[in-house]
Amino acid sequence: MFERFTGGARRAVVVAQEEARERRASSIRTEHLLLGLYSVPDSIALRLLAERGVDRAEVVADVSALRSDAGAVVDADALATLGIDLDEVRRQAEEAFGPGALERTRAGRRERGRRTGHIPFHATAKKVMELSLREALRLKHGHIGTEHLLLALLHSGTGAAHDILVHRGITLDDMRVAVADAGTGEASG
Amino acid sequence: MTDATSVAAAASSRDPAVGLVAVASLRGLLESLEELQVRNARDQGWSWQQIAEVLQVSKQAVHKKYRRYGY
Repeated sequence: MFERFTGGARRAVVVAQEEARERRASSIRTEHLLLGLYSVPDSIALRLLAERGVDRAEVVADVSALRSDAGAVVDADALATLGIDLDEVRRQAEEAFGPGALERTRAGRRERGRRTGHIPFHATAKKVMELSLREALRLKHGHIGTEHLLLALLHSGTGAAHDILVHRGITLDDMRVAVADAGTGEASG
Repeated sequence: MTDATSVAAAASSRDPAVGLVAVASLRGLLESLEELQVRNARDQGWSWQQIAEVLQVSKQAVHKKYRRYGY
């Protein structure tokens, strides 16, 4: 399926993973895919959203307002609320046991894996990828572009991205018509 | 590093998203620090019994937890 993705759709998925990591999420979710769409300039998906007044800044704000699923084991900001300075603890540990002492522990490695390693797709995000293929087939498009990802995100029950978009008046039916009108998808991104 | 006022503030935070994340982070940090200290103690020739007494856990518990790491 992935081989049918256009360059733009691939970029959206890659950026979704980066967004998930930056937000310390334990998995890549639909809201990260939505943010990913916004990283592809001049894509059909963005044009359609812009035409309907969906603004990037507002979407980012909506995603940021979602409750974090707090994937990190040791969260420096959370420790700060307890008056614990993680940097200072790390400094003391390194003074006694050498550079990277805290990160070299098993617990520390688990933590680092979450920050830099592979982040799995959440079941809902996987579902969106499948639905994007289905939307492309339905329109008889030979590829999966950002516009098909957008349609997939509009299916109900797929998670936060659906809620954010529907809240802004975007519906699957309307968007399907718009994508069909946008052409055969020859030059989509 | 610990400011009594901020600890009191976090402890009295009624938002679980704040309080629970802080507790989970503290546990993760505790795991790392305990591992560092247990390994160091073993390197310095401490017995599992000695380590267990100071950590205030059973010898079996500390041995079981760290033996497989080869300390």
